[in-house]
Amino acid sequence: MKRILVIDDAATVRLYHREILEKAGYQVAEAINGLEALEKIEEAPFDLYLVDINMPKLDGYGFLRALRQREMPQAPAIMISTESSDSDRQAALVAGANLYILKPTRPEHLLPYVQSLLGEWQRT
Amino acid sequence: MPNQPQISDEDFQKFREFFYRKTGMLFEDSKRYFVDKRLLDRMAATNNETFRGYFTMLRFQASGAELQALINLMTVNETYFFREEYQFRCLVDSMLAELVTRRPLNKPIRIWSVPSSSGEEPYGIAMYLLEHWPLLRQWDVEIISSDIDTSILKLAKQGLYGERAVQHVPEPLLKKYFMRVGTQYQVRQTLREAVEFTQVNVSDSADMRSHRHFDVIFCRNLLIYFDDLSRKKTAESFYDALNPGGFICLGHSEAMSRISSLFQIRRFPEAIVYQKPLEAR
Amino acid sequence: MGLKKGKPTPETDIPGERHQARDLDGLLQALHADEPMARRWAARDLAAHPEATADLVKQLRREPENSVRQVILSSLTNIGNEAAIQGLIDCLYLEDAMLRNAAIDVLKELPDQVAPFMGRLLQDPDPDVRIFAVDVLESLRHPRVEEWLIEVISQDAHVNVCATAVDLLGEVGSDQAKTALLSLKQRFADEPYIQFAADLALKRIEADGA
Repeated sequence: MKRILVIDDAATVRLYHREILEKAGYQVAEAINGLEALEKIEEAPFDLYLVDINMPKLDGYGFLRALRQREMPQAPAIMISTESSDSDRQAALVAGANLYILKPTRPEHLLPYVQSLLGEWQRT
Repeated sequence: MPNQPQISDEDFQKFREFFYRKTGMLFEDSKRYFVDKRLLDRMAATNNETFRGYFTMLRFQASGAELQALINLMTVNETYFFREEYQFRCLVDSMLAELVTRRPLNKPIRIWSVPSSSGEEPYGIAMYLLEHWPLLRQWDVEIISSDIDTSILKLAKQGLYGERAVQHVPEPLLKKYFMRVGTQYQVRQTLREAVEFTQVNVSDSADMRSHRHFDVIFCRNLLIYFDDLSRKKTAESFYDALNPGGFICLGHSEAMSRISSLFQIRRFPEAIVYQKPLEAR
Repeated sequence: MGLKKGKPTPETDIPGERHQARDLDGLLQALHADEPMARRWAARDLAAHPEATADLVKQLRREPENSVRQVILSSLTNIGNEAAIQGLIDCLYLEDAMLRNAAIDVLKELPDQVAPFMGRLLQDPDPDVRIFAVDVLESLRHPRVEEWLIEVISQDAHVNVCATAVDLLGEVGSDQAKTALLSLKQRFADEPYIQFAADLALKRIEADGA
């Protein structure tokens, strides 16, 4: 079963994404900010990361930059944000996101992205 | 029984999220009984008949005293020798092993144990090094241990302990490092003299200035009782108390991810610890 | 070799290279020292000098070293006067995401001092600033928190501002939030997240009353 790490400081948002992803057959773990996510990946890497941008202590950009510097098997990351400006999108991609989508997410948009990112990853 | 307070599933969820955000401690469903029991105890102690009333108090109380009381109950804090021993193993097998690779022989390795409490931790570290770190023959190690409370420092210097505190000390070590004094055990003088005890308030900049150049800091089960700002400030002071590449060990229920982003996470086989970056200035 | 009794760091050993006086003038000079360690110690000791607020705010915005920034933020939090709060709130409008998030982080720790600014922040034209304001409510120990949240979910046109508020209502909501939660569900009938979060909050409020 593919493992996904949901990183968001809002408990309800984590729960919402957990339910969507679990229903689709993924195994889900949660982290409350970028630092906790880095602790979690020290235990075992994940197959995909769903990352909020604005979080305390270490935000989504900081987490992705740190993740991409690690010498470990890399995995795709989807950045989720409330901000729709081009500069935010650009910054997310530069930090190492594979995809940038807006909050609030909808299952029918999110799941195809998750599936295709996981599928592409397997092929390469 | 009518009006017996209960914790509903929704209450448990709500509490779990709040407590996780505040402390980093996450209770699995399997801990439900443990958590409920303690919540009900505190509700009774604070005269709250409903969870709602109690939760509002917990959340909105300006002093944060109730949250502290609850943390106390949830963490079951006890001091005894070799508590969380895996961190001492990590010290010897991983942290010191890494530190000595970039350390000249003539520069002592400095370890700081804070809070000292009644001394179980610093003496435990000393014993552990003597027993399990053969390189102690080549390197000097200095152990300093500090507490804010002068009366507990006095006890620590005395090194007198009851049966309970030494229950995890193996018999040969008990013989080697302790003397029986009536029903109690006293740490032998040579070991007592190996640890320097000082009074320190970790929130005081001047106190912290006189405690620097450390390679390893043990600060277990202290920060969890601080409010967010005091925790952050203390972590920042520890940053300056450490040499670049130095390590900090927190208690098992404490998470640096709730405190500060200054340190790097290091996963060793025995434990996860935090490191001041080697290139830090 | 072996265990040696350690000693505290002597007073002659001064962090950073320059031996500046630790009075206000000396600390302000040290705040611009070349060595980050000297700047950190200066920023730390300036927490005792509210009159240094403006200098700390200025240094915060140009400080390249994260570890120094963090200490400046802590000292501003400690000072916590109106100028410090205003300086931190100004950071919310910066492009620099790291500084913006760090400012939000510490403002959350100053709920009482931020409370007077809350009304204005909740009406800010920038939805991201309004989201931040709701975030700060999370740690606010203030009798009006629920009322503010109800206002937000009843009036704010931006879905993500409402989403943040409804998330918090799941924790602090009571019976008086029910009507507003139900009408929020109608207002954003095609947003699955709002439906999910509002239902969760309603469920928790119901369980409370039981």
